[in-house]
Amino acid sequence: MAGPDALWEALWALLPRTKEELKLELGEKVEGSVVMLLQEAAELFYGDKRQECLQTCEALLDYSWEKLNTGPWQHVDKDWRRVFSFSCLLKAVCLCAPPGDAASVAAALKACDMGLLMGAAILGDILLKVTAVLQKHLPSGKRPAPDPSQEPLGIKKARNDHVPIPDVTSERTVPRLHCPSLQYFREHFLDPGRPVILEGVADHWPCMRKWSLEYIQEIAGCRTVPVEVGSRYTDEEWSQTLMTVDEFISKYVRNEPKDIGYLAQHQLFDQIPELKQDISIPDYCCLGSGEEEEITINAWFGPQGTISPLHQDPQQNFLAQVGAAQNIGLPPPPGPATRGLAALCTFKH
Amino acid sequence: MAEERRGAWFGFGFCGFGQALGSGRGRQVHSPEPLRAPGAGLDVCRVSASWSYTAFVTRGGGQVELSGFTVGAAGGCRDAWASEELLVVLRTGPGPGAGTELQAWAPGSALRGEPLWAQTVPEAEREDGPGGDETQAGPLPLLPCARAYVSPRPPFYRPLAPTLRARRLELGAEHALLLDAAGQVFSWGGGRHGQLGHGTLEAEPEPRLLQALQGLTMAEVAAGGWHSLCVSEAGDIYIWGWNESGQLALPTKSLAEDGKTTAEASGLNEDGSEVKRVAGGEDGAPAPFIAVQPFPALLDLPLGSDAVKASCGSRHTAVVTRTGELYTWGWGKYGQLGHKDTTSLDRPCRVKYFVDKQLQVRTVSCGPWNTYVYAVEKEKS
Repeated sequence: MAGPDALWEALWALLPRTKEELKLELGEKVEGSVVMLLQEAAELFYGDKRQECLQTCEALLDYSWEKLNTGPWQHVDKDWRRVFSFSCLLKAVCLCAPPGDAASVAAALKACDMGLLMGAAILGDILLKVTAVLQKHLPSGKRPAPDPSQEPLGIKKARNDHVPIPDVTSERTVPRLHCPSLQYFREHFLDPGRPVILEGVADHWPCMRKWSLEYIQEIAGCRTVPVEVGSRYTDEEWSQTLMTVDEFISKYVRNEPKDIGYLAQHQLFDQIPELKQDISIPDYCCLGSGEEEEITINAWFGPQGTISPLHQDPQQNFLAQVGAAQNIGLPPPPGPATRGLAALCTFKH
Repeated sequence: MAEERRGAWFGFGFCGFGQALGSGRGRQVHSPEPLRAPGAGLDVCRVSASWSYTAFVTRGGGQVELSGFTVGAAGGCRDAWASEELLVVLRTGPGPGAGTELQAWAPGSALRGEPLWAQTVPEAEREDGPGGDETQAGPLPLLPCARAYVSPRPPFYRPLAPTLRARRLELGAEHALLLDAAGQVFSWGGGRHGQLGHGTLEAEPEPRLLQALQGLTMAEVAAGGWHSLCVSEAGDIYIWGWNESGQLALPTKSLAEDGKTTAEASGLNEDGSEVKRVAGGEDGAPAPFIAVQPFPALLDLPLGSDAVKASCGSRHTAVVTRTGELYTWGWGKYGQLGHKDTTSLDRPCRVKYFVDKQLQVRTVSCGPWNTYVYAVEKEKS
């Protein structure tokens, strides 16, 4: 039986039994005052003092947020991100105390997403487990009713064939191969740093038949994601903001959006593992020199007309396109090829 | 000239660690309250507030009192500077000619035991006469000799070029501001939020003169977490850096989305809360939101008031006017603006408490999330 009590029980099943177990091992960078406040938050949490726990969590969130904004992101001590995640966790659970309502669950989900977006993994990726539980308990009224004018992405493309496709002479086009062997790929493209379009590799990925705007909204509509607003990130008007996937689709994908909004270069599949089940990692990826854990998967999701300015990536990339077509321009590498792009595009749908 | 009227300290904002801030009820104080002990009854000449504790320095006895996460007291201190990483004190030696010692303590030590490090520092040349203390360089984190300053992160002792002739120095989360004897402002450190004021988002490794303020003589500088402010001798305010909570008194998107951003300063109401977004540009277009202001912008206070003192918290700003009024703006979530609520503001609002109580504000000192004010009773004519 769904209800606030069932949710509460499901959440508590994920947490340690005692406040001694709900602790973070933190290094020297985190000051004694913060450690004290963390302990206080845990005590209040297990002492059922939820309002006071929420207050303490707010102070911890605001303080660690300031640390996250001090200095370049790559230099932010991971412990501060863990403090942030911890505070998001306690806040999210406290918000779901019975009697809960739809607004509290949505707020709890947002708190989890903030922890996932800006924090670092704690307690065995507990935030992902909590979000999974919260999503199951979202009242159905929270999800948008399917819009009758909705179509899957592919059909939308056919209607908009005024999109110009650049005229490219044949010597300068990227070669297309159907499922080459790993060795052939390595010898002819990976090692010399030459781009290639691989066909047939992603044909059977579930995303190719499952993904549509409604599907994405059903799986992830209430999740908070980072969105870039503005034509391109080199523009003055460009900015980044957070919003739910529902808000992003309604404001920037459907309904003839006034501005350009782009969910760009975000590790969406780490945040929303349900979507990760719809894709696979191509075998070609294990030919790279790094460890498998170093493979990062980013997603770009946006309407027609989104542009990423010319740039160079530090890693080798595979690009898989689901939905409408994309134009990719590749300048020749400066010298003996060191970095390259292997493009893997299918135009199913 | 000694103060003819005895004044008192007041506090408001975050006190989640029990630091002295008025009644200390709960974790936040939303309206100014007179300070209780410590400091009550003692002649507190300086307040330095960190996030989790506050240090009060008293005249005469040279006592430093600590309140909040760390509690304690120690004598022989003529100045103190509180940060989360370090509590820094300047201690005078026991007798004449004994020198001044700079000590850095772990905040949790409450000045008991041994400091983390200490060194003797040279004195400045003393200037005798009225207001002798004020003409020296200082306060901390600038050292009395003005040849160096203290940083909460290593290296703790940082020399300054003698040519700089520093008079005041303030530290933000990632940057530093310096006011020299000629009234010029220098900045250095991280600049990703425009807090250096040189028109870019680049860092500066060494003190760099603010060209945009050339020709103006500044009397005060103040550094917030990621924003900067200076006050000219004429009483004008120049402000720059990050505006994410309206701490620059410029329109900010986050408040607009909550329906709380406001019209131009000249058209506001004192209680301030009802004025909605109004067209700001000359052509009738709404004024754009400003997230970052990378070079100084002139800020007018309501009624054309002149500013004389200023202090910044993490994300809020407080200014004292020549006529003894206090204006605050920026992040207000913990009541640090003193307007009896937790609303953030992107324009200056007068703190009515002091007007209502017939108090003249003389100085203000902000902690990261709170505000301390020294005020005297108005002269009765």
